[in-house]
Amino acid sequence: MSGVFDRLQKRMEVESQEGGISPLDLADLPPLLRKIMRYMLREYELTYPEICEWAEELAESERPTQAQLDEALTVLTKQFWLIKRGEGERIHYQANLRRKAGSKLAQGLWNALDTKIAAAATKKEETPPAS
Amino acid sequence: MSQIISIHSYRGGTGKSNVTANLAAQAAMAGKRVAIVDSDIQSPGIHVLFGLDKSTMKQTLNDYLHGKCAITDAAFLVGREPTAKEGVCKLADKFLWLVPSSIETMEISRVLKEGYDVNVLNKGLKTLRKSLQLDYLFIDTHPGLNEETLLSIGISDEMVIILRPDQQDFQGTAVTLDVARSLDVPSIRLFVNKALSRYDHAQIRADVEKTYSTQVVGVLPLSEDMVDLASADVFSLRFPDHPWSKELIRAAKIILGQA
Repeated sequence: MSGVFDRLQKRMEVESQEGGISPLDLADLPPLLRKIMRYMLREYELTYPEICEWAEELAESERPTQAQLDEALTVLTKQFWLIKRGEGERIHYQANLRRKAGSKLAQGLWNALDTKIAAAATKKEETPPAS
Repeated sequence: MSQIISIHSYRGGTGKSNVTANLAAQAAMAGKRVAIVDSDIQSPGIHVLFGLDKSTMKQTLNDYLHGKCAITDAAFLVGREPTAKEGVCKLADKFLWLVPSSIETMEISRVLKEGYDVNVLNKGLKTLRKSLQLDYLFIDTHPGLNEETLLSIGISDEMVIILRPDQQDFQGTAVTLDVARSLDVPSIRLFVNKALSRYDHAQIRADVEKTYSTQVVGVLPLSEDMVDLASADVFSLRFPDHPWSKELIRAAKIILGQA
């Protein structure tokens, strides 16, 4: 059973990753991996038995073997597109989306904009409503 | 299990928010539990159709994304407020929640400047579906393709692309369709809006379906009455017998599987 230290360590590892999947990356995945990721994005977080149950319910033509499913989960975890937590019966997976990047404009521009917005808000508050 | 319906357009001004609000309202009128998330964080607007403003929007999607509240705290149950307009009032005993994006300049600026964790947005969508026991979650997105748009495409059961009979829209719709197909969206439909009344709408439908090999769920007329309402209410609730509303309601039944 993982302790607090392990969980924090795991979180730090995850947060230090620049990676994570962009939904557009789904298009380049092989069909089984894409299917798993789409489902994981929808459900956000699932236990291993829940994923197995979902795979069992797929149409026969699409249903992976247990080995194929396990291999796919391993590949996605290594890519940091899925985050695996817990051990044994308590293993669960979470979809890991890439952070939406902020603007690449120079910080000075944003600071100037923030100052102007704040000044405009203050002015608005100080102006008495028209009677 | 709840269905996720994402509403897209490649370009702005197609009437996406208006169509989203009306489709969601019709689903709610049919007794379904429905929520709309305004993921157009850069230029939010759908709240206007439900009569919300800064004073009524206590918490927003931005507050949730910045860890200031739970997503359910930002979900506003519309139609109950005394200031609700004639159309929106009809939702008073229904279940339609709106999660608005902030219209505070500072908040919009913050998201543009810092970005945000898309995982938090995704987790919030799941929480909403579960906590509010939704039948349908509608996602109103920013025009074009960005993180929120792609996420909503990636997780949706049904995608509706709004386009005008316009050459720029036609080209952009082809791009959006390509993306949606490559992401295995189970159901994709087109909705033509602002079609001039002098044109044969059946012909528009046939031409668009042939061009894209995709079902056109409806062809909405360009309506002066709609323009006149100026997004001040939900049109199909206020004027249910108007030709625009009749076409919208017909399309809604198809999208919701009630046709």
